[in-house]
Amino acid sequence: MRHGADIYLVTRVHGLRTHIIPARDIKILAKAKSLRDVFDNLMKTDYATDLGQLPAQDNDAATLERIFHKKLVDRFFFLSRTAQGKMQDLLIKYSARFEVENIKRIVRAKHGGVTSERPDLIPLPREHSLVNFPALLSAKDIDEVASLLRDTPYRVLLDKVESYKQSESTMILEAALDSVYFSNVWELAGKVPDGEGVRDLIGEEIDLRNLLIAFSLKAREIPQRVIEETIIPLFYAFPKATLHSLLQARLEDMPSILTRRYSRLASEAANLLKNESTLPFEWPFFRQLYSHASEAMSAYPLQAGYVLAYLLLCECETKNLVTIVTGKQLDLSDEEISKGLYEV
Amino acid sequence: MSMGRAAVTRGVLLRLREQIDFTERAKELLEMKRDNLATETNKLMAKVAARREFEQKLMEAYETLRIAYMTLGYSELQSQGSAIGPLEVRTRLRSVVGVPVPEVVLGKKPSNSSITDPSAYSASNGLVQLVEQLLDLAEAEARIESIAQELMMTNRKVNALERVIIPKMRETLRYIEGRLEEETLEEFFRAKRVKAVIRGETR
Repeated sequence: MRHGADIYLVTRVHGLRTHIIPARDIKILAKAKSLRDVFDNLMKTDYATDLGQLPAQDNDAATLERIFHKKLVDRFFFLSRTAQGKMQDLLIKYSARFEVENIKRIVRAKHGGVTSERPDLIPLPREHSLVNFPALLSAKDIDEVASLLRDTPYRVLLDKVESYKQSESTMILEAALDSVYFSNVWELAGKVPDGEGVRDLIGEEIDLRNLLIAFSLKAREIPQRVIEETIIPLFYAFPKATLHSLLQARLEDMPSILTRRYSRLASEAANLLKNESTLPFEWPFFRQLYSHASEAMSAYPLQAGYVLAYLLLCECETKNLVTIVTGKQLDLSDEEISKGLYEV
Repeated sequence: MSMGRAAVTRGVLLRLREQIDFTERAKELLEMKRDNLATETNKLMAKVAARREFEQKLMEAYETLRIAYMTLGYSELQSQGSAIGPLEVRTRLRSVVGVPVPEVVLGKKPSNSSITDPSAYSASNGLVQLVEQLLDLAEAEARIESIAQELMMTNRKVNALERVIIPKMRETLRYIEGRLEEETLEEFFRAKRVKAVIRGETR
């Protein structure tokens, strides 16, 4: 950290860190008697302002989820406004994950021919995006969506439309969006001063996403060529050659190919696939990411990595809250809800 | 056929015999229809018997769906679900032993190949795999309903013919035959008397 603005940003994030709901409180929320109890407990947190504006009858899980996402978006963009220089550039690009997610939701809806209702998008203020979402929502098909994205960083979609039509799957378009997003973020991560932690976190996220894609698509017996097209073409802790070996190996042999950093995770994932556990398959991947973010907070307390780690923990909090409110609404047991939480 | 009002003529007797013959053949046909409907019902019952197993699978699929909802939240899972292609189903009427029954033709199975998230894929896969079985079951249940209705009606018709209509017609036939026999005897007797009177007068 060399610049004053960067030091201020990290100091600010140290303060904001204290607003994240601690793990023990998340556990208490998971054991709340009802959704109403969760709502009441959240009134003591940062979510109180938004929750307080809700009419009493509107505290269903879907509405609460929208509020959690809004808060997450606010937290991301608050930091991108506070930061300066390269760090600001990075945070703006990093926050584009919401924009990417919304484009993916529109693409899926257009592919499935959903016309009766509009897809539920993450609430993203207009000033934070160059993408014209109302126009995308009104587009009649994916061709039109791709052409509307011509003047945005996602113009690559235009080249992928043909492959999409051949495969009749949006997977290729979603992969292209992820590639654009992570390439932009990865490029800027190399330019941030004291950016070791930033590169470590972004690199880990890319690796984990690639592993998740490799494992889940291999389990679905999707051809290797398609999996390779779906992979984000960036590699951090394992080389591209390892990925090729992974894709050629049998599912049970995959953990032995990876280095220690990911081999335990890979064994866990392979076991999940084998045992058909009720635990979501992506759970160990995200747990590793958020645990790594938590460790990064101690490893890089005065560097840019701390800021990114904080944002990942915010995302983790949102996922936990969504799990709790949805679980409560669906009358899942406290045990089932607790199993789906990320404890960091 | 009212027995008291039946005209006692040879013509009526002949028509009545023809009617009884026709009604008995109709009864036999209805009995055959009833047997076929019963066989068809038995066949469908085997399909419907698998319902419990199907419901168990459905409950497991719903459980996976609940876990996926919990993991991804409503908006994300809904979005993943929106990428699933529509299910195309056509229904048309088919005749089974003259009974119109619905036939469900699966045009296009919903495709979940676009789903990227593993939880959403697992939830959708469980449900997509059950679609065909669900349609089969729905078709079988709808058929059983139509066939059972027809079976009940046919059974009533057979019973009515066997126990009411045919016995009554036979009774009428016996009555007319009796009356005609009586009339023949009377005629014979009358002719004999006339003959005797004529003979006595000549003597």
